[in-house]
Amino acid sequence: MMEITICGRGGQGGVTLAKIIASAYFLKGKYVQAFGVYAAERSGAPIQAFVRVDDEEITNHNQVQHPDHIVVLDRTLIAPGMDATLKPGGYLIINNPVDKTEFKDHFSGRKVATVDATSIAVANDLGTRTVPIVNTTMAGSIARVLGLTLTEILAALEHLGFTGPNKTCAREAYKRIHITTLPGEIHQAQAPAGKVRVADIFDEDVGGMPKIKTGSWATEKPERRRLTPPCNHVCPAGNDVRGFVEATGQANYDLALSLLLETSPLPAVCGRVCPAPCMDTCNRAEFDQSVNVREIERAAAELGTRPAPNRSTREAAVAVVGSGPAGLSTAYQLARLGYPVTLFEAGDELGGVLRTGIPSYRLPRDVLDDEIDYILSHDITAHTGCQLKREDMLRLSREYQAVFIATGLQNVSDLDLGETDAPAPVQGLHFLEKVRQGNERLDGQRVIVIGGGNTAMDAARSALRIGASEVRVVYRRTRTEMPAIHEEIEQALEEGIILDELVSPVTLVDSANGPVLTCQGMKLGPPDDSGRPRPIADTSPESRYDLPCDLVILALGQSHDISILPEGSVIKEGEALLGLSGAPFFVGGDFATNAGTVSAAIGCGVRAARHIHRTLSGEDLFPPPEEPIASSDQIRFNRFAHQSRAAVKTLDPDQRRRCFDEVHLGFQAGPGGETSVGQGAVSEALRCLSCGVCNKCDRCLEYCPEGVLKRDDKTDGYVFDLEYCKGCGVCMTACPRGAIYMAEL
Amino acid sequence: MGRTLATGNNVAGHTLALAGEANRHARGCCAGAYPITPQTEIIEFLSGFKFNKGRIVLVESEHSAMGVCIGAALAGARTFTASSSNGLAYMTENIYAAGYYRLPTVMIAVNRTLGPPWNIWVDQGDSLMMRDAAWLQFYCDSHQDLADTILLAFRVAEDKRVMLPVIVAMDGFVTSHTQMVVDMFEQEQVDAFLPPCVIPHKLKHDHPSTFGGMTFSSETEHHRYAIQQSMEQALPVLEEARDEFENIFGRRPAGALETYETDDAETILIACNTMARTLHNVVTERRANGEKIGMIRTKLFRPFPRKELLAAIGNAKRVAVLDRNHSPGSGGIFWLEIAATLKDHADILLQDYLVGLGGGDVTPENIHAIIDDMNKRTTASEPEWKDTSI
Repeated sequence: MMEITICGRGGQGGVTLAKIIASAYFLKGKYVQAFGVYAAERSGAPIQAFVRVDDEEITNHNQVQHPDHIVVLDRTLIAPGMDATLKPGGYLIINNPVDKTEFKDHFSGRKVATVDATSIAVANDLGTRTVPIVNTTMAGSIARVLGLTLTEILAALEHLGFTGPNKTCAREAYKRIHITTLPGEIHQAQAPAGKVRVADIFDEDVGGMPKIKTGSWATEKPERRRLTPPCNHVCPAGNDVRGFVEATGQANYDLALSLLLETSPLPAVCGRVCPAPCMDTCNRAEFDQSVNVREIERAAAELGTRPAPNRSTREAAVAVVGSGPAGLSTAYQLARLGYPVTLFEAGDELGGVLRTGIPSYRLPRDVLDDEIDYILSHDITAHTGCQLKREDMLRLSREYQAVFIATGLQNVSDLDLGETDAPAPVQGLHFLEKVRQGNERLDGQRVIVIGGGNTAMDAARSALRIGASEVRVVYRRTRTEMPAIHEEIEQALEEGIILDELVSPVTLVDSANGPVLTCQGMKLGPPDDSGRPRPIADTSPESRYDLPCDLVILALGQSHDISILPEGSVIKEGEALLGLSGAPFFVGGDFATNAGTVSAAIGCGVRAARHIHRTLSGEDLFPPPEEPIASSDQIRFNRFAHQSRAAVKTLDPDQRRRCFDEVHLGFQAGPGGETSVGQGAVSEALRCLSCGVCNKCDRCLEYCPEGVLKRDDKTDGYVFDLEYCKGCGVCMTACPRGAIYMAEL
Repeated sequence: MGRTLATGNNVAGHTLALAGEANRHARGCCAGAYPITPQTEIIEFLSGFKFNKGRIVLVESEHSAMGVCIGAALAGARTFTASSSNGLAYMTENIYAAGYYRLPTVMIAVNRTLGPPWNIWVDQGDSLMMRDAAWLQFYCDSHQDLADTILLAFRVAEDKRVMLPVIVAMDGFVTSHTQMVVDMFEQEQVDAFLPPCVIPHKLKHDHPSTFGGMTFSSETEHHRYAIQQSMEQALPVLEEARDEFENIFGRRPAGALETYETDDAETILIACNTMARTLHNVVTERRANGEKIGMIRTKLFRPFPRKELLAAIGNAKRVAVLDRNHSPGSGGIFWLEIAATLKDHADILLQDYLVGLGGGDVTPENIHAIIDDMNKRTTASEPEWKDTSI
């Protein structure tokens, strides 16, 4: 009787190989037996299979103890003593590249047959790159050693249904097998070790780590990574959105606020007026609703304690022209870096559009003043009522080591509505300034606002509050194309403001019943330069009509006034202007980009400060390139429970339409309940999925079937015990936020 | 089909299917099925087989699997299923029901150790757990024995004189997953061997009846007595079945037990399943050295063939039982039966050896050691543990 032992790893087809060999002899009329040892035969685990061949019926059913030949499917299984039970004269048939002979000393004196079955199998697409199936290939080499003909082994393959590449591989191996006898003496078999003590159910160390280092079974290993959450990616100010939301969720408002203050000195402002692109991009929107990040920022600003401001430590002084959000942001960042900063503001009060362009029912004065005061508490000297012009720039370039221009959009777009005796149309920003100073009333008047942006909405809602009997907003495209913040439009409509979409004003004339605005109905055509559909006049006769009104307000957009700079200056954010002697000049904010939001301006300020700092000190504080963004594909939504947003309080439209009290009141009791701002903020912040960033939820640790994950406080995360980790990938699947991936070993 | 290379599970699945198909001109066949290692391939095979008149019903548990067999048998179908280990344990209530309802279901028990702790390897404890459930039990040592016995099982079970279900056991992995040479049957041969399944007490629409209703002690006693009488009929019916089998297939399958070198044996070893096969070689070897040693393979366990066993033991004075099973608090279960058989033979030294519990690999060396131990004995002792770790 011939007995063969096959040593392989689960997935390499060891048991089937036993059946292939058995089939070859069965077809020659022999009695055969083929079986595997069933235990932990998962992919990668060491396995054994056996073949017996005899002329008579085989009756032994125990495992083969003294094989005539040993087959090794995976050379990583080779260990000293592996040939101990092999009969003298027997072969070791090994899947091994011919040039790799590390096993020479283990198998001295033995007959060894090798072939690189892995390469042959991979070249013929048998199995995968990490687990190639080498059995049919090895069948060829084994046949050659055993004295079976190629025809006989191919017949066996066919008998079991193997075709095509399997036969090719067997042929290859049959041809290429390299047979040799290793020099030296055959190692004597070791005396068997004494009995192994078997653990008892009542033993104290029951449940300890196993003696088998199962890490050797792995073909992949887990790695932790940190992706960029989409909110962080899209925030124009560069805030660590996920970070301050997580801190709020832990009720650590101080940490939340200090994270915000790293990049933005205006969290109370942004927590009220930011259009929140972070919320538009929030992955949770797919699941139930996006996290109410804006509200959380507002709460953090309210509940957190600010760090004390630092004093200046550097000689180099910087001038900042314009105290809107970009100027304030730059001044703040430079002051934090230790530079003394002088801030120049043309108006009577600091703040720029924060002051003049945003009405107090959206941004209360005291909130703005408080944040500006904190900024100024750093080493920043502010001069108001100081309109600088081109000729002042030379002086600045000599008195300061760097200059930053952020004068915003000074020019307003006009509209020719024809010669008329009717009251002239008023510019939205000028109107808002008059309202702010408290001098305007429009009781009983009908007001038309032309435009679709935030200024149009602010003007319309302000007009209502100072007594207008009717306020219409006339816009030449539809609501979808309006650049104003969605919530603004919603609140305006709630307050009773009428939105006339697809209407363009033509002329303003006086009539017996008062001023009349003639309007032209519009249609949407193909996209124009802005990417939005071009409005085209509707040619049907009913499309032209009259709107009686008492006041027309224009809010058609603004543009920068570059007269402050030398002629021919090319404005580019982040680059020092050329052609100016003395200190380098940088530009930013709407003046440079026309981005139109407070957060974009703040972001400009952060970058400008870094540019200036790099220019003056050589130190580069720009962050490294971003990690890939954690898309919703990374999130396993079914791990989370649906949870609706924490309640927020807004004044009733009827209550608010006639006063300038703050409309939006943040996290407070919804109808019926009593909730504090903190409770609302924490509960909302806990809705954050922490996309792509580990938040130590322990799910990976709980689900690891082998218990090879532990908390690691040194690295602020988890550590994998790769001695035992089998690379199963359950941790990767358990992580609901894509913080773990499997890498090839 | 002829001579082929197949695993024990292939053999079982195929033979069950042929037997089921053989009833296609009568009420057809039906199996309730649920998978468990190491039986799963039987269920897979049956699920893929195209029966002309039959259904494999995949259910959510072994308990329901037997429930399906009971229901289908009460409708007159030929029924069968397979299970192992804790699956059999889950099925227990319904196993007793099939027995006490006197329904001729055939179940393949692919022997596997009962847990906990979790263990996938062979041990006869799972089928032996059912020894009181009024089922016949056959223990098969080879692929051929398995194939033959499955057919015998249907024939004996469905005989009016027996009308009891049958367990046909094989070793998990060592038989079920091991590929060996076997002669498989043609459908025509099976059709000839197995008459249509007739279940006299099945449900009849023109003569409605209830099953399993309440009885008093006297009726229950009567019921149990009738079962015992049918059990006693099983042996003569088995002999008739073997004769019919030989006529059709040209060879005589093993009956209640098989003997080897027992005629003048002084020491006899008794074992079942694949351990008996390995034992066979050892006996041959020891005989070649001049020892008067023999072996008995116990194939039929229920009814326990006491008469036949006594006859086989003959004049041997030393009997060793190799039990790959154990009833805690007593000893090996085959030993207990054999001890009852030898109750009137105090002169025979009967020794129990517990070998391969939990699936240990039983080698010729293990068996040699047992024989050596027997040879040294002057008296029997409590059951000896011959597991590898004791």
